Amino acid sequence: MKTIVVSVKILSKRQKQHIKLPTRAKVAGLLDALDLNPQTVVVRCNGKIVTEGERLVSGDLVEIIPIVTGG
Amino acid sequence: MLRCSFCGRRAVYDRRYAGVMLCDRCLIKSVEKRFRGAVAKHKLISPGERIAVAVSGGKDSVACLHLLAGYCSWRNCELVAITIDEGIRGYRDHSLPIVEENAELLGVKHFVVSFKQAFGTTLDQIVHLAKRHKTGLNPCTYCGVMRRSLLNQAAREVGANKLATAHNLDDEVQAIMLNYVRADFSRLHRLGPIYPPREGFVPRIKPLREVPEKETALYVLLRELNVHLAVCPYSGGIHIEIRDFLNDLEEKHPNSKFMILRMFDRLKPKIAQGMPEFEMRKCEVCDEPTSANVCKTCELLKQLGLAKQRKMLI
Repeated sequence: MKTIVVSVKILSKRQKQHIKLPTRAKVAGLLDALDLNPQTVVVRCNGKIVTEGERLVSGDLVEIIPIVTGG
Repeated sequence: MLRCSFCGRRAVYDRRYAGVMLCDRCLIKSVEKRFRGAVAKHKLISPGERIAVAVSGGKDSVACLHLLAGYCSWRNCELVAITIDEGIRGYRDHSLPIVEENAELLGVKHFVVSFKQAFGTTLDQIVHLAKRHKTGLNPCTYCGVMRRSLLNQAAREVGANKLATAHNLDDEVQAIMLNYVRADFSRLHRLGPIYPPREGFVPRIKPLREVPEKETALYVLLRELNVHLAVCPYSGGIHIEIRDFLNDLEEKHPNSKFMILRMFDRLKPKIAQGMPEFEMRKCEVCDEPTSANVCKTCELLKQLGLAKQRKMLI
């Protein structure tokens, strides 16, 4: 199976990680791989806010912003 | 590229519960429309009123501050911002400058009231004392009760007609579910877009009650507003479990949160019918309004060997 690799940075964590996904994977697939509920995050891809239905390509820089902060 | 269902620009949000995609401009417009719609539908604000808004610096309160600032200038109302500094080291001290910056940007008068000033101690110290006294209460219990009390007192002292809080759809639905789980009728029937006036209480309003949390987050990010996105170090308990359950439910069954809210709003008049009326008194210790002899804040403080002073905050 062909794959793509995207760089992922979660805002609350310092480290950037590289995630391997199937070709034509979408943001929703990435969140699923990271076990994150789309209700709880906003995703920026290459600096732009995107929907969960957006397709990813190799080399994309994805920033995940957790939005559920209350106590 | 996915496109906005209304204008065809690049979509930034899939509003699954409504079956539409929204671009940045349409999302901002939509949140503003929801806010104005809630204010009009529930008659939350009247022209010429003085509105106090509770601002912590988080995304919801900053969104609420900016939305109210626009609305108040249009309806000839005066807006003041109040921040409660609970004394959470490494958390609240980071958000205070953010509130200050936003208030200054909008030309809104900003007041800070601290636990230290009112109770002679910080939440960090209260949490430490609670562990030592083995009260079994979690930090959110102390923080919630005491913060609400100080907000009310501060709003009353600045002469506010209403006290706006930034509770969003997720907060409101979590509170509904939490009170169901605890079978707490007295707290349940008090939920709603406006908490009616009672002696000593400034009526509380929730203009963001019909805006999902994700949409307030997108609103501040798209408008590039400065917000504090950190998680409270004391966050925890059943509240978090209910929040996660509701987010999973919404993900699998879009519109669930709105349906829970709508159902509650239909049930609320019936729940209220069954609730006995209670007389408002003044707390024997601090003079703040309460339905008992001693208010909840003073009761909690007494358990820890502390007491609130009878003094003005502002």
